[in-house]
Amino acid sequence: MRRLARATVAICSTLALTLGLAACSGGDDDQAGGAGDTLVAETAFSLTTIDPHRQFEFTGSTIDNAVYQTALEFEDGDLTKPTDGLCSFEMSDGDKTMTLKLKQKDAKFSNGDPVTVDDIVFSFERLQGLKGNPSFFLDGVDVKKVDDETIELKSEKPNPALPYILPNSSIGIVNSKVVKENKGTTDEKDEAEQFLNENSQGSGPYQIDTYDPDSQVVLTANENYNGPAPKYKRIVLRNVSAETQLTDIQSGQAQVAYDLNSDQANSIDDSMAQKTSLPSTRSLYIFNNMDDKVSDITTNEDFRMAVTSAIDYEKILELSGDGAQRMAGLVPNEFNGAVPKDQAPERDLDKTKELLEKSGYDGEEIPFHYSSDQSVNGVDLAQLAETLQAQLKEAGINLALKPAPSATQLDGFRAGEQPMGIGTWGADFPDPSNYNVFVPGGSVADRVNWDKDASPEITKLAEAAEKADEDKRGDAYAKMYKSLSDTGVWIPLVQPVDTIVVGNSVKKYVSNADTSFDFAQAE
Amino acid sequence: MAEAANEGSTLAEAVPGPGASAGDAAQRIRPPKIHPLLRYVLVRIGISILLIWGVTIVTFLLTNLVPTDPVAAILGDRAAADPEIVAQTRERLGLDQPLIVQYFTYLGNLLQGDLGVSNQTRTPVLDSIGQVFPASIELGIGAILISVILGLLLGLLSALKQNTILDHAIRTLSLIGISAPTFWIATVGYFVFFFKLRVVPGAGRLDPWITPPPKVTGLYTVDALLSGQMATFTNALGHLVLPSCVLALFTIGLLTRFSRSSVLDVIRLDYVTAAKAKGLPTGTVVFKYIFRGALVPIITVVGLAFGSLLSGAVLTETVFAWNGIGQYAFRGATTLDLPVIMGVGLVIGIVYILVNFIVDLIYGFVDPRVRVR
Repeated sequence: MRRLARATVAICSTLALTLGLAACSGGDDDQAGGAGDTLVAETAFSLTTIDPHRQFEFTGSTIDNAVYQTALEFEDGDLTKPTDGLCSFEMSDGDKTMTLKLKQKDAKFSNGDPVTVDDIVFSFERLQGLKGNPSFFLDGVDVKKVDDETIELKSEKPNPALPYILPNSSIGIVNSKVVKENKGTTDEKDEAEQFLNENSQGSGPYQIDTYDPDSQVVLTANENYNGPAPKYKRIVLRNVSAETQLTDIQSGQAQVAYDLNSDQANSIDDSMAQKTSLPSTRSLYIFNNMDDKVSDITTNEDFRMAVTSAIDYEKILELSGDGAQRMAGLVPNEFNGAVPKDQAPERDLDKTKELLEKSGYDGEEIPFHYSSDQSVNGVDLAQLAETLQAQLKEAGINLALKPAPSATQLDGFRAGEQPMGIGTWGADFPDPSNYNVFVPGGSVADRVNWDKDASPEITKLAEAAEKADEDKRGDAYAKMYKSLSDTGVWIPLVQPVDTIVVGNSVKKYVSNADTSFDFAQAE
Repeated sequence: MAEAANEGSTLAEAVPGPGASAGDAAQRIRPPKIHPLLRYVLVRIGISILLIWGVTIVTFLLTNLVPTDPVAAILGDRAAADPEIVAQTRERLGLDQPLIVQYFTYLGNLLQGDLGVSNQTRTPVLDSIGQVFPASIELGIGAILISVILGLLLGLLSALKQNTILDHAIRTLSLIGISAPTFWIATVGYFVFFFKLRVVPGAGRLDPWITPPPKVTGLYTVDALLSGQMATFTNALGHLVLPSCVLALFTIGLLTRFSRSSVLDVIRLDYVTAAKAKGLPTGTVVFKYIFRGALVPIITVVGLAFGSLLSGAVLTETVFAWNGIGQYAFRGATTLDLPVIMGVGLVIGIVYILVNFIVDLIYGFVDPRVRVR
């Protein structure tokens, strides 16, 4: 018996020693923080493709920003200032025509081919023809090559948003010759996606080395890039959960963490990492259904305004972390056309009580829908829903929480079946016209059954904003979005904050609202 | 001669000719004798094939019963508002066909080794499973090796030292192993052993700056050895240690408790007492009499645990950024990627059936009574 006990101890010790030795042999402190010219960035992947004309998620956009150049860019990442990229631009004909002139004539794709007007035209037409998620960017735009240096984009209606749309990484310029050779077309028969996932055909500072949508994407420097050569020759973008990112960034295992919330970022000592907080381009709001058959209480304006004045917005700000902002409308505060945030509603429980009495609300439970598995810039929607439930209960409004996975919740929302809940909207491009979908009859308004004829006054304001001159556009849109908020159909809650944490081994970097973190400029 | 010529012949050929006795006829129509072990294996293969077919029906039906439209999960807000794009997407995915047609299309493709294409990434599901499954196998093998060695030894020791302090200590430890939440253990383990003590490498299957070895099996440790990349081998092995240990904790606890109880059942049997009375050495009594007798139920648990480890460990894989089948399945489920959900369901079903099949075979070898029955 004693012999067995001794044998057990011996085996356990041997196993522990073996595992310890194996573990230590795998760890290499000298390598921590990346190996010289490799930069390791971590994010929880939302990645389905990196074909620029199909991708429409954060991770794909992060990669394509580094791989593809665009016709226009944002000046130093300022989303209110579109500027020249591969082309210069000019708007004319009452914003119906945009003329692009090839400006960077020395731009070359990663295989050394020069970027031509034909490549730009092909890229625009492919985006339109694929009928994918980002195809709407160039809806109603006729693309025409004028000569070897000029392209004309003609829109059916005035399209002042076009300069804000073209910098999007989904409109990256690809090498048309090579893409066509690999079954690329400008219609739905296109079969080049797989090729573009594995072989980048861009002229940006990096090119794709390996692509694994579940695990990691590796980029290497594009030697034919016409800008300054990036210091980091290799970028490893890894799929890592936020909790692990927190440990990795502190240990030097990674140098960029994208998904830490404000609390996690603040828990990191300054000697370990630098933090940059950028206003998010996403909006969180409550929606109220306007169909009596779905809910006869959310269609009541007094009830909706009672909810608006029952919310403790300061608490919601606290929940969202440092840097989060109040919103008076659905448009983020930094965009042209945003409603000034000092016009945002405040909590007023006396007003709530009065409005509830007027509304005839008798304390019934209202189903309140949200995505239970979603976090928007660190704001956990489940936690937000519970907070709202508690706040509204104090005011005498009873919510019955209806959590569901994102896909299920979204399906119900799109079907117009949910009486009330939390919605999120991320800007497709930084222009107030991107939020027209919330106007009665718009594609998002349809989901709460808010018909086109429901509010002639708002429809009129929306038409006026669309037609307004450049210098009056902002005010016209702000007026329209304020009137939208005043209906209580959409109750803007908060504009969260986008936090990027960068390890101290990176001495210099550029982080802005356009690219979050610019790999090419990191040193 | 005639009987010898008829050996292995068909029933028609075995019909007795004029003049043959009734006894001869009966002997001739009797089916050829099959070795009990071979019959046992064949029966189990047949059952396994039926089970796999059942799994295809269950995974297909359950996946399609989800009350949500997968097209909604694929399309962005703008595209989802365009009926033309919605209709095209539905047609491309074959979702415009009746369910029964969809099933037979799925089954037909399956028989040709086609598990479909991911709705989200448009990559063949079989290729993706081929990428992620070796990661889970590598992790599962690491965890089961640690579990079997420690679990069996501790269980045996605990039973032999029943009601002593050592027994109580082992039982307490096994209880902790079973009840501690894996996610918590993984997070704390990662923080302590990687961040604080620096005795293990960080998350992932390799350090980010190391290129994976050329793929042969998909197991980085094996592929690194096959390609002679010793630095990559040690790095991959190092990365395997902590996640394997975390994953093994539960199984160690389970095996310890199971083997303890199984050994205690055997230890009181007469043949063990007789062996002791004969004065056989303790080692012989313990390993040849007690342990072998207790082995059958333990094999069952090891098989189930191994199947479970191979099927992916979502939480452990998430904390250690281990791109295995658990994470792949989780992403498929949250994005309503039906081909991925069905593909993973089928593969996991096959894994369990295979593991059980192997366990059944081992029973047959370990315990002759099983194959005779």
